[in-house]
Amino acid sequence: MSLNQLLPFVSTAVMLVFTIYVLQRYSVRRAPHFLFWGIGLAMFGAGSFAEAYLALAWNKWVFFVWYLFGAALNAGWIGHGTLLLLSRKKWVHVITAVLVLGSLFAAYLMLQAMPNLDEGAFTTGKPVSEQYGTKALESGQTPPAGAKTETVTYRGEQVTAVRGILPLGSPVRLTTPFFNIYGLLTLVGGAIWSAYLFWRKRVLPNRVLGNVLIAAGALSIGSASTLTRLGYGGLLYVGELLAAILMFAGFLTAARPQPAEESVAPAIPVATD
Amino acid sequence: MSQSRDPEQVKKLRTRSHMPQGSLLFEKVIPVLLVVMGVIMILLVLFAAGVLLGIVHF
Repeated sequence: MSLNQLLPFVSTAVMLVFTIYVLQRYSVRRAPHFLFWGIGLAMFGAGSFAEAYLALAWNKWVFFVWYLFGAALNAGWIGHGTLLLLSRKKWVHVITAVLVLGSLFAAYLMLQAMPNLDEGAFTTGKPVSEQYGTKALESGQTPPAGAKTETVTYRGEQVTAVRGILPLGSPVRLTTPFFNIYGLLTLVGGAIWSAYLFWRKRVLPNRVLGNVLIAAGALSIGSASTLTRLGYGGLLYVGELLAAILMFAGFLTAARPQPAEESVAPAIPVATD
Repeated sequence: MSQSRDPEQVKKLRTRSHMPQGSLLFEKVIPVLLVVMGVIMILLVLFAAGVLLGIVHF
């Protein structure tokens, strides 16, 4: 097993510990943001594991887990946890309902796509992120070296496409940008905003640092995924591992009690979120 | 969470932990990082929106 194949397993292990840590907090505190973070992190971990598995062998249900949880949903759920922490307004509950229903709808669309997966397009030679989508070629456009092509009917026209695992025009693929945009804005935006608020007030440096680390971790995986989809997959597994480590470190740093709080915490339990 | 506590008391407790004064990390590095990360976030959001709108093909 190469180092590149090992990295996603290490990321999975880090995410597993992180998820357990967050869900333990939820079991004690019952704050909904811990629940959404925990579920989102579990999705991230499942996606990392699926990616690691798919670097070694094919399994269509592992691909289901990878796409639904790893590529589509996890960022939105983690980010929604951040939104629940930052705002306790009623409209947030509406977004919670939209997120849950949207996730169920994405799962339904993914289930619908399952019988049409093109397993012949799969290879263990490159990350699944680089080969999951069928891409239509523009007229005159040449396919990348080594790519498998096919002629398919798409929207009533015959087009040449680079073969991918999900068929051309799979509706489930349309859902992914919604979750990822929402996740980016809430997770990264929320962490940057929190860090800025504490920094501006010149208080709680651990929260400033923690939020910077969380934002950097989320951007690390966001950037690596984007580069992968543009055909530069070399940094994906490193980006994933970096994201897992930075976000966990950020969470631990932000949650660490400060000396002044620590000495009085049993008597006056201030909000530590 | 802490609604039953005296807000002034809570605020006082919170503000006991201050940023170190004259720290290069907090005075220079963190603000630059926040701006850079904000810009990267906006670029990634624009990319995802471009995919959604069919402007970016991948």
